[in-house]
Amino acid sequence: MIESMHAVTLGHFLMTGAILFVLGLIGFVTRRNLIIMFLCTEMMFQGVAITLIAFSKFHMNMSGQTFVIFLLTVAAAESAMALGLVVLLFRRKRSLDSQVWAQMAG
Amino acid sequence: MINFDPYLNLAFFDTLATVIGTASSQAGTDGLMNAGANLGGGMVAKLNGIWPEITLCIAATLSLFVGMAKHVQMRRMTWWISALGLAVAALIAAYEPARPDAHSMISAGMGQYVKIMFALTGLVLLLVAAQIPETLAVTHRNEIDRPDFDPGQVVRGEFFAFFLLSLAGAMLCGGADDLVWLFLALELTSLPTYVLVATARDRIEAQEAGVKYFFLGALSAAVFLYGFALIYGATGHTDLGLIHQYVMTNGASPMFITGLLLSLLGVAFKIAAFPMHFYVADVYQGANVGVTAYLAFVPKAAGFISLIVLLGLIIPENNQPIMGVEPITGLIWIMAAATMTLGNILALLQNNVKRMLAYSSIAHSGYMLVGLTAGLGNHPEGHADGVSGVLFYLVAYGLATIAVFAVIGCLQVNGEEAETYEDLDGLSNRHPFLSGTMLLATMSMIGLPPMVGFVGKLFLFSTAMDAGFIILVIIAVVNSAVSAAYYLRLFHACFFGHEHGQFEHIPEPADAKPVVDRIGPFFGYPLAQIVVPILARRSAAFVAVGAALWLGVASGWLVNASMNAVGRSTTPTPVIETAEYPNNLPAPGSSPLPSPTSSLPAILPDITPDPTSDSKAIATPDVPAV
Repeated sequence: MIESMHAVTLGHFLMTGAILFVLGLIGFVTRRNLIIMFLCTEMMFQGVAITLIAFSKFHMNMSGQTFVIFLLTVAAAESAMALGLVVLLFRRKRSLDSQVWAQMAG
Repeated sequence: MINFDPYLNLAFFDTLATVIGTASSQAGTDGLMNAGANLGGGMVAKLNGIWPEITLCIAATLSLFVGMAKHVQMRRMTWWISALGLAVAALIAAYEPARPDAHSMISAGMGQYVKIMFALTGLVLLLVAAQIPETLAVTHRNEIDRPDFDPGQVVRGEFFAFFLLSLAGAMLCGGADDLVWLFLALELTSLPTYVLVATARDRIEAQEAGVKYFFLGALSAAVFLYGFALIYGATGHTDLGLIHQYVMTNGASPMFITGLLLSLLGVAFKIAAFPMHFYVADVYQGANVGVTAYLAFVPKAAGFISLIVLLGLIIPENNQPIMGVEPITGLIWIMAAATMTLGNILALLQNNVKRMLAYSSIAHSGYMLVGLTAGLGNHPEGHADGVSGVLFYLVAYGLATIAVFAVIGCLQVNGEEAETYEDLDGLSNRHPFLSGTMLLATMSMIGLPPMVGFVGKLFLFSTAMDAGFIILVIIAVVNSAVSAAYYLRLFHACFFGHEHGQFEHIPEPADAKPVVDRIGPFFGYPLAQIVVPILARRSAAFVAVGAALWLGVASGWLVNASMNAVGRSTTPTPVIETAEYPNNLPAPGSSPLPSPTSSLPAILPDITPDPTSDSKAIATPDVPAV
């Protein structure tokens, strides 16, 4: 009885994924450091990955896990590009504060 | 103690066996060997369907290698390699056989239409962007001031390689039959554009634009990915055809609807639609104008094609509506109305032409969303009509936008890009052809008759009328009229403004002379001297606006092509049509190309070409209904 109450089910994995996703979203909106902001988007990606893997196990097919492999590859490419961009920006302004980059408006 | 549910106890090989077993039963075969052969066959069929993209990837790789060459003349060949790659891709796409594994009406012919569209507009965009690597400070520093070779400091190869890779991603969106494929295609479209925005201009605004575009792009990617994950979770498939079947039989669960909503929201970033539109003006203003022209068309078109593919999941078949998809229609309706209204209002307030064009591109996204809304209506053929209207309007919008940006890109004021209305004052006195181009392009954007924009808007809005979205059409038409205000302001500056600024063309291409010397012996020097300087921004503007005019006058074949792209049969009598193809499926064995006897749909009765004329003779002199 107690055992079944503490069973780890699909819902737990989905909740973990959703929490990671929402935490990443909140962090992206509230943080101002470019690298932290980027890490927040990575956290959102990881939330998606957990969701996909949980569904993959639930549906007993490999599509979701295949998806995650591709997702991780793209996330790696994106982080390489993000670091390149951040270095480029840091050379121009010597700051990682996203508010420094707000010249254009209107 | 962790107690996994029974599903989780499955070993890897069991799962694999299940997958292979499913595949073999689907393929109608018994043995494992046959199943393997069929899987391989499917892979080969898929590879055969993406030769244009493969060509572009090869050209991009070649461009990267040649961009590392020791001699600068050799490095300047990267542009020609890219142009050749695009031309070959267009040819391959035009002669591509229909995909045998195409499961839905959407991906049957749409892939081909999309590929040809991207390859040809890509050529025009390549003309607009041709001189960008030449004008960068890094090029001047390392090639002109200090001509010894440093492979780490040359940018030509990378620039054109990113250009081609992004186009390849956009093409891949058209043939997507799997969520994974769609995700990879969208990312392949987006990732290179972030680099292009940040590096193709020496102003600090370009880097600001790049960082904004990149971070919001990554955010939107995460959002639509979460949507994809929920769609997969709700249905158990990533294959779009299987998802559609699942939704058809089991109805749309709330999780599926949530997933679809999130994916639509994420893709709305790519098309710059209402809730995700705020970045557009900054990015378009900051980027190099050649890159801006690219951004205004390619990622947006890729986003619309992905939207078409995604919304194809909830299209009823056999006249059985899918339960529970009403919120999606409502959402797209609201998005369409809000996007075009907001875009037009904000465009009215701008003083910077690039920002104005950015907001006007948002408004155009709104018009195309009207077409998508119509596609979700209850009209029997509504979906195919709505989608083909969007496909048609993409071409119309792309040509006019590229033309306007190319004209602006031709002009420099005090060594900087022309940006404000004042910079364009009195343009017609100095450059009558450029201002004439501007006039025709803005006419197409407003939707005035001889131009293709008129046919596009007529197509979109009449489809929405047929589907019963009267209020939305009224909003769209009012918006269309409002948009004339700021387009005419542009026109007014060009033709009636008082000159006070300093205009100059971007100098003749620095690489014209070496190319003339190189190809002169083969084609004759006079011909080379005429042809090579043509490869500049202003000729891109002329080509784009010429195409817009020609397609406006002879729009019949493009209407046919866009109708065929979605498998909408264009046989003249609707009675036979519904009797033969009740599911909007393409006729068995029908080619995606216009059939020789095809005629126009009923919405464009006045410009029906002679039904006996060969539709491949695309210069058929159709007379517009004006």
